[in-house]
Amino acid sequence: MSPLPNSLLESVAAAAVREGLADALFTRLSTPIGRLLVVSGPEGVVRIAFEEDPEDVALAQVASVLGPRIVGTDRELATERDALSAYFEGGESYSLPVDLRLAHAPFRRAVLDELRAVPSGKTVSYGELAARAGNPKAARAVGTACALNPVPVVVPCHRVLPSTGRLGSYAGGPERKATLLELEGLISPRP
Amino acid sequence: MLPPFWTLVETHGDELLVHARRLSGDAAEDVLQDALLRALRAYPKLRHAEHLRAWLYRVTTTTAIDHHRRVRREVLVDEPPVVASFDTHDDDFEGLIASLNDTAQAALRLRFVDDLDYDGIAERLGCSVVAARQRVSSAVRTLRESYA
Repeated sequence: MSPLPNSLLESVAAAAVREGLADALFTRLSTPIGRLLVVSGPEGVVRIAFEEDPEDVALAQVASVLGPRIVGTDRELATERDALSAYFEGGESYSLPVDLRLAHAPFRRAVLDELRAVPSGKTVSYGELAARAGNPKAARAVGTACALNPVPVVVPCHRVLPSTGRLGSYAGGPERKATLLELEGLISPRP
Repeated sequence: MLPPFWTLVETHGDELLVHARRLSGDAAEDVLQDALLRALRAYPKLRHAEHLRAWLYRVTTTTAIDHHRRVRREVLVDEPPVVASFDTHDDDFEGLIASLNDTAQAALRLRFVDDLDYDGIAERLGCSVVAARQRVSSAVRTLRESYA
């Protein structure tokens, strides 16, 4: 069986975007922290999933909120791909619109909103972020918000560190957190 | 709940292209592209999430038939009349439906060539509207299965 040509799929995607038929678009991007699934809705990036997260689950989550007309395309998401690639090449800051609708609880959303203001190359502690989000005692809830962050990397939960001076945990695993912090020049490269 | 549309495309796209190629030969990619867009337009209106593969085959078949009609019409308009060759060539509507029984062929011609609605088809075939609808859909299904 001959596989479906990519040009055909991109034509369908382009027409779908032109006609306003797509509820969300997604693309797969190779990065130093593995392949990322990047899903973007009309208001911005709504979901980023790591390689080991089941894609169908991630896409179904988006479908449940934005609708089932989800379309795969590299070309229509060129802006997002370029911004992320530039970041992964040099730790460069970028600004992509973000849609936090998959963070359901209000406090979690507030935490992620505050976190978006932390630029590349800076970090924040769990306690400090809790205070910024309006509840200084909620450091643990900040940990949960980060663990459930639907758009890692773009909403930089890797920049949240425990006050102990260690790296702390990360939804994508400590290796990925270290790679991202290295990329931003926050820790020295490991051998 | 309906699965994300592209999951269906990535799962069934290859076999749909084979199906489109059997129905439309060289025009297969155009046909499939149209069919996927049609399917995407209709997708949120589907009432249940079952038989999605069969549904995609059906949309592709219908799109192929429409494509044949359009091409035929263009040929009739653009070129001096040629003697219609009703062989079993892939690119020909009559060839496409030649394997069906007479009732099924008649139903498909009334629906897709004469573009009648089911009331009109029922009148011409002297049957009920429900029966007309069934004849067309079962003819399309037989066609799909014979090419699958």
